[in-house]
Amino acid sequence: MQSLHELQRGFCAATLFGDGAAVASLSIVAGGLDPQTRIAIYRNNILGNYRKVLAATYPVVHQLVGEPFFDAATDQFVRGHPSIHGDVNRYGGDYAAFLASYPPARELNYLADVARLEWAIDQANIAADAAPLDVSALAAVAPDALAELRFTLHPAACLIASPFPILRIWQVNQPGYEGDGRVDLGEGADTLLVTRGGHGVAIDRIGKGEHAILSALAANATLGVAASQAADVDPEFNLVDALRRHVANHTVVAFRAPSPSTRTGQA
Amino acid sequence: MPTTPELPVTVGIGLRSPHVARVRAERPALGWLEVHSENYFVDGGPALAALDAIRADYPISLHGVGMSLGSADPLDAAHLARLKRLVGRVEPALVSEHLCWSHADGRHLNDLLPLPFTEEALAVVCERVDQVQTALARPILVENISAYLRFADDAMAEWEFVAAVVGRTGCKLLFDVNNVYVNAVNHGFDPLDFVAAVSGDAIAEIHLAGYDASGSCLIDNHGARVAPPVWDLYRATIERFGPKPTLIEWDTDLPTLEVLLDEAALARQILEARDAVAA
Repeated sequence: MQSLHELQRGFCAATLFGDGAAVASLSIVAGGLDPQTRIAIYRNNILGNYRKVLAATYPVVHQLVGEPFFDAATDQFVRGHPSIHGDVNRYGGDYAAFLASYPPARELNYLADVARLEWAIDQANIAADAAPLDVSALAAVAPDALAELRFTLHPAACLIASPFPILRIWQVNQPGYEGDGRVDLGEGADTLLVTRGGHGVAIDRIGKGEHAILSALAANATLGVAASQAADVDPEFNLVDALRRHVANHTVVAFRAPSPSTRTGQA
Repeated sequence: MPTTPELPVTVGIGLRSPHVARVRAERPALGWLEVHSENYFVDGGPALAALDAIRADYPISLHGVGMSLGSADPLDAAHLARLKRLVGRVEPALVSEHLCWSHADGRHLNDLLPLPFTEEALAVVCERVDQVQTALARPILVENISAYLRFADDAMAEWEFVAAVVGRTGCKLLFDVNNVYVNAVNHGFDPLDFVAAVSGDAIAEIHLAGYDASGSCLIDNHGARVAPPVWDLYRATIERFGPKPTLIEWDTDLPTLEVLLDEAALARQILEARDAVAA
């Protein structure tokens, strides 16, 4: 008699990978329906469930490639990228990376970046809540101490840079979109901010300087370092405007001063 | 702080995200609501806020689909911790899981997969149920599932397995009448044998749903109205055990809220007819 572990390992091989020897090892009661057919029911249920889950997370990718392509890609993704959570809602974060190297999608060079945007939207919906930044506390910081502050972005905030106009691709593929659906891939790169404010998840096109400063702050740089990185990529970058805007839209939600022992220049 | 209510002995529906806004706005006359626990394993955001609001108006049952009580793999401690956090937040009337397995060697199939009804599997399930009940400091319900195959190694009938889990762990039973019927057809037994083998005291909730009869065996797809023979079996179950909190489940091709409320009204008629007989 198979151990429970052997049975469950064999069941995975039989359903996901169509392993005929594994089906035979399972000692399934035929009872009017052969074991291959019974296993195929589970294969269809399991793969069909992942197709539904990923189509819900990546509706624009699904729309762009069509159902047969999406289903074939998803089945291959599932076989190579095991789900590691009992909560299937957490599955599929590496779908964009998979699509980037999926040979049938080679011509659709923008597809992986569209998937990254859709994952960011999905995650922004379920990220932790955060209170707005305490503006009066920030106003009370001495001007010469501002450069050493570090800032925290909202847990929902995600920055995306793509050489393709992925926001326009996303917009024209929304249900009910009625404008001109054509997109000129040559219309340029996108730098995007996905975050969640008072009205739900928002996607905003931001400048290269804003993208640079928010990326640096997210990586724990001080305001001074982050601002100089923004100025490097955008000489017109306006620090005060950017900070005001991203506090107001709930992207920057907290700040902290260095602890006294690590501050330099203190007597 | 909300107190933990009993589930009223009336009818509820499985609440899915497309219906949340209407249920919040219209507060239909339902005794309680059930949600999938995993859909709220999140850190924040609008769905969790909506659940908090709904919880203020209805008793909630948390129904898990991913604990995998029957895996040879160890229980997923992170999954259990998330459930514990959610239970602490929602203070649900009931917490349930399925008598199935879902992962092997760390790979999750995210489906409700059939167990062999062996002593080994029984021991594994009982140990996991104990672990979950200890972690949550409350009894859970376990639900009998639909199956499209069974194993030649079975040492007992499904209803003996189910009764043994309940008897050994002190957990309660979420008696899914549709799953009993689906398995009776698929595996050729009399569904009343299943009903006769379980203890009415152990049944804390009943599930009703529709199946798909278009293929080579019945598939529990939660995608149709409750079928006439399942209503009959439900009536027989209620006649035997008395009224129990009953849920209408629908997941595939979710219809309008009206259809679910209509199904709930049909179940309520059967519950109330039994009440009238008992009075």
